[in-house]
Amino acid sequence: MTIIIAVAIILVVIVGSQLLKIAELRAASKGELIYVMTEKESKFQGLLLFLSFFVFIGFFFWQMWAWYGLRLPVSASEHGVAIDFLSNLTYYMITPVFIVTHGVLLWFCYKYSFSPNRKALFFSHSNKLELIWTTGPSLALTVLIIMGLTSWNKIMAPIPDETDHVLIELTGQQYTWTARYAGKDKILGRSHVTLIEGVNATGVDADDSNSKDDKLVKGKFHLPVDVPVQFVFRSLDVIHSAYMPHFRVQMNCVPGLKTQFNFVPTITTKEMKKKTNNPDFEYILLCNKICGAAHYNMQMDIIVETQEEYDKWLAEQKTFIE
Amino acid sequence: MTTIRLENISYKEEIRRKTSKPLIWIGIMSIVMFFGGLTSAVIVSQGSGEFLKITMPFAFTVSTVIIVLSSVAFHFGLISIKKGNYAIAKLSIATTLVLGLLFVVSQYLGWVSLNENGIYAAGKESTQESSFLYLITGLHVLHLIGGLISLIVVLVKIMKERYNAENVLGIQISITYWHFLGGLWIYLFFFLRYTIA
Amino acid sequence: MSTHHHAKDFLFTYVFSQDHKMISKQFLVTGFLMGFLGLAMSTMFRLQLGWPGESFEVIDMFLGSWAEGGVITPDKYLALVTMHGTIMVFFLLTAGLSGTFSNLLIPLQIGARDMASGFLNMLSYWFFFVSSVIMLISLFVEGGSASAGWTIYPPLSALPQAIPGSGAGMTLWLVSMAVFIVSSLLGSLNYIVTIFNLRTKGMTFTRLPLTIWAFLLTAIIGVLSFPVLLAAALLLIFDRSFGTSFYLSDIYIGGQVLEHSGGSPILFEHLFWFLGHPEVYIVLLPALGITSEIVSTMTRKPIFGYRAMIGSMMAIAFLSFVVWGHHMFLTGMNPFLGSVFTFTTLLIAVPSAVKVFNYLTTLWKGNIIFTPATLFSVGLVSTFISGGVTGLILGNSALDINVHDTYYVVGHFHIVMGLSAIFGMFAGVYHWFPKIFGRMMNNKLGILHFWTTIICAYGVFFPMHFLGFAGVPRRYYENSAFPLFDDMVDINTFISMFAIVAFFAQLIFFFNFVYSAFRGPRAPMNPWRSNSLEWTAPVEHFHGNWYGEIPHVHRWPYDYSKLNAEGEYVYGEDFIPQTTPLGEDEKDGGEH
Repeated sequence: MTIIIAVAIILVVIVGSQLLKIAELRAASKGELIYVMTEKESKFQGLLLFLSFFVFIGFFFWQMWAWYGLRLPVSASEHGVAIDFLSNLTYYMITPVFIVTHGVLLWFCYKYSFSPNRKALFFSHSNKLELIWTTGPSLALTVLIIMGLTSWNKIMAPIPDETDHVLIELTGQQYTWTARYAGKDKILGRSHVTLIEGVNATGVDADDSNSKDDKLVKGKFHLPVDVPVQFVFRSLDVIHSAYMPHFRVQMNCVPGLKTQFNFVPTITTKEMKKKTNNPDFEYILLCNKICGAAHYNMQMDIIVETQEEYDKWLAEQKTFIE
Repeated sequence: MTTIRLENISYKEEIRRKTSKPLIWIGIMSIVMFFGGLTSAVIVSQGSGEFLKITMPFAFTVSTVIIVLSSVAFHFGLISIKKGNYAIAKLSIATTLVLGLLFVVSQYLGWVSLNENGIYAAGKESTQESSFLYLITGLHVLHLIGGLISLIVVLVKIMKERYNAENVLGIQISITYWHFLGGLWIYLFFFLRYTIA
Repeated sequence: MSTHHHAKDFLFTYVFSQDHKMISKQFLVTGFLMGFLGLAMSTMFRLQLGWPGESFEVIDMFLGSWAEGGVITPDKYLALVTMHGTIMVFFLLTAGLSGTFSNLLIPLQIGARDMASGFLNMLSYWFFFVSSVIMLISLFVEGGSASAGWTIYPPLSALPQAIPGSGAGMTLWLVSMAVFIVSSLLGSLNYIVTIFNLRTKGMTFTRLPLTIWAFLLTAIIGVLSFPVLLAAALLLIFDRSFGTSFYLSDIYIGGQVLEHSGGSPILFEHLFWFLGHPEVYIVLLPALGITSEIVSTMTRKPIFGYRAMIGSMMAIAFLSFVVWGHHMFLTGMNPFLGSVFTFTTLLIAVPSAVKVFNYLTTLWKGNIIFTPATLFSVGLVSTFISGGVTGLILGNSALDINVHDTYYVVGHFHIVMGLSAIFGMFAGVYHWFPKIFGRMMNNKLGILHFWTTIICAYGVFFPMHFLGFAGVPRRYYENSAFPLFDDMVDINTFISMFAIVAFFAQLIFFFNFVYSAFRGPRAPMNPWRSNSLEWTAPVEHFHGNWYGEIPHVHRWPYDYSKLNAEGEYVYGEDFIPQTTPLGEDEKDGGEH
């Protein structure tokens, strides 16, 4: 097999070289230089470029038609709606820019392709034009920057103390997630890697009175709808990233460091099943920072439900000391 | 692809004359960035957590004095060459070399005394700051060894009387680097003195 | 005796040459060989992504123990991804691109006999060579090559327990990169000093071709940022091999708690991206410089807004140092800091937009000759636009939350940085091939190469944005673990098919390259009727570049679409080389 391939390659190379040589000799005998682009060839490339505009934009819209429907469903969190809005706004700005600049670029290629009879215009600068395309993008960017920073600061703002919220610690390790609920006292007990032992796989400090009512959950965790959730992220080994795409939430989990994110889930799993017409729909938490061989399979399901269902579920979970 | 070799190429000398000094300066720039990166790493990690103070060994202070003296001696040597006074030049450059070696010894003594006081470069007992202290001073010495080598070259060439009042380019290159190393040490000394120690 | 002499001659002409043109060729060939390897690796893992779990004979043949029965194993998939990234970013697009064209064009275009230091220049190449060899050796060591992604974030890259590639493979990676950085610094040092000190008479800064400006800024960025990567790598080496704790803290792995404490992986990210982001522009600026020169020559028009082009490159170079944090929005960084980085990042869009509009205006009312070099330049403008606009999404911290580390990012940076840079490099090779090898490349094959490449490139990278919309993370071995991503199989297969064709398309180029280097038609002195100084040098290579005196320069390099002495337009005489003195009442074009 290998020999056949090798022979085939050698043959292709030899035949190719000979063909090239013949083409060159033929051109030379006619007094042409093979490397000089003639007007005809150049025009043809210009035309191809111009036609490629339609192919390219057609390809773009075909992809929109074929694959845009596969995008994440409507945001299941409060801040996610703002993100989606700003995201769409940005697309409304950049898509026309993308199409028009390509149109101009490729039209020019056709329109001004080489002819020996035409002289190109000597046009070396214009302060007015340069001013226009410095200020134009600057203005558009100002809008994006202001809107972006407003959302960013809102998203990153901590939950005010007096607001009722759920406190959950998510711990990543190769290749699994553990969620820890703060329990009745709403305070997470201390934890440290040196305390990891047997079933206490995330190193919760048993001597800390705050840990006693903490609840550890694996595989799946539940969230109440319309209640702010404060997440604290930890990692035991390498950097992971907790990514919950449906909530537009992502934050890295860094060993030796605690990171945070808070958001309000707004759609229950049941509602989302209806919205997406998918009876098997589940919210997921996945790892989005390269963390090792099984990185591609480090996940946890999330279930968003009503407060009553959530309370019932939480009551069934064992506390840490149990 | 015929390659014609021109013998007795005279432009090489001209290029050397024009570019040696800028080369060393831009090289110095990149070394500045290197140590800049390391020292900002110290600042970044200080910002992120508790930071233990370390007492700076006395030897490092001695080193500072030594390296300043060595720079003075080197400078004196350069002036002597320009005046054509070879005997003094040889003496000054030799002094510089000795002082440079003494600097290395003094740094080593500094590390020894750190080690004796239970401040380790690596391992379980080490802290981030102790590692930084060893690493940064060590890397400085590593750069200094380059300076010492250039000093030896300069000294040998002086012995052979290769330099004269018009031709001191080699010494100028070497002295630029040497002064830079001195300045770098003084910066590092005070930086470490006020952050880690 | 004579054979001995001959051998010595050969050694110093082709191997340990200190001549910038030979060093340029060495960089070009080594860079392309490494690039071909990186390309082959990507084709292999595209097979896995397009047809997950299926066995391929070709994978079995080339990867051997990395692939059980023709299926890449998950950890070796990561090894391939890592090596692909490293090789493409550093070896092909940094050393291969900058090394080749800076070396070739700086002395020739500014009118110098050689680089500031031929010796350092030679060292630069040999360090690069050694680092390439070490990187290749790392493929064959126990545990495989580095597998922590090209960004080698610790602790993953620091702990062999975490992934096998973080053992000997990672050690070699770090050694190779340290050598590479030295090579890159020696090169940059030379480029800067040469441009500042060895310009010929009359070559003022406002008469420098834009290529030279781009190389200068690239070299300055390199000198300022690579040492910081070296510092980062050193600290990692110490953490890995000598038990320090710069980056490591509170780690429990493989059933035991490590002794490291007090460090922070975030420190590494800061140091890495302080190089990492400027690195993007180290890759991109030379490509932009090359295409500026080509677009002007081939449209027979002066580049529009020469000074604005320089200004925007300077702005980009400056801004590149204050945006690194946008890679770290989600590392728990202070939100205010995130805001600052968002601001500076989006600001880069302004000079980039200026460049694009200037390119478009240069084409306007031009007389465009579509050589393969021109085509690739047009391709670069296209990819620079398509990849640039999505940067507005990623640079905006709020929007980054949901697309960070997804395929959206992969699509974005491959188009804006990967494709743009490689298109610039191809354009440069087609354009300056007569200068490098004294022969011409075949146009027809070049055109075929362009069309297959750009079609496949967009076919590969455009759909990735849609994977990103669906939240598919990058660096996933396969997506079957998530029912959510089941519908993505089609997109992935689609991408992989284009990737395979793209691989074969590059073979056309390599064939053309090798054939033309040896058997292509001989090149005339100035085949493109170009103004710049390199085309006044004889076609044959020799030390010193010009016989006799170096020509003096009297004007900027973009005097195209000019009338001849009689005030008529004559095709083929519409350009005035830089060596022609200014007419009596003529103003230099660069000084307006």
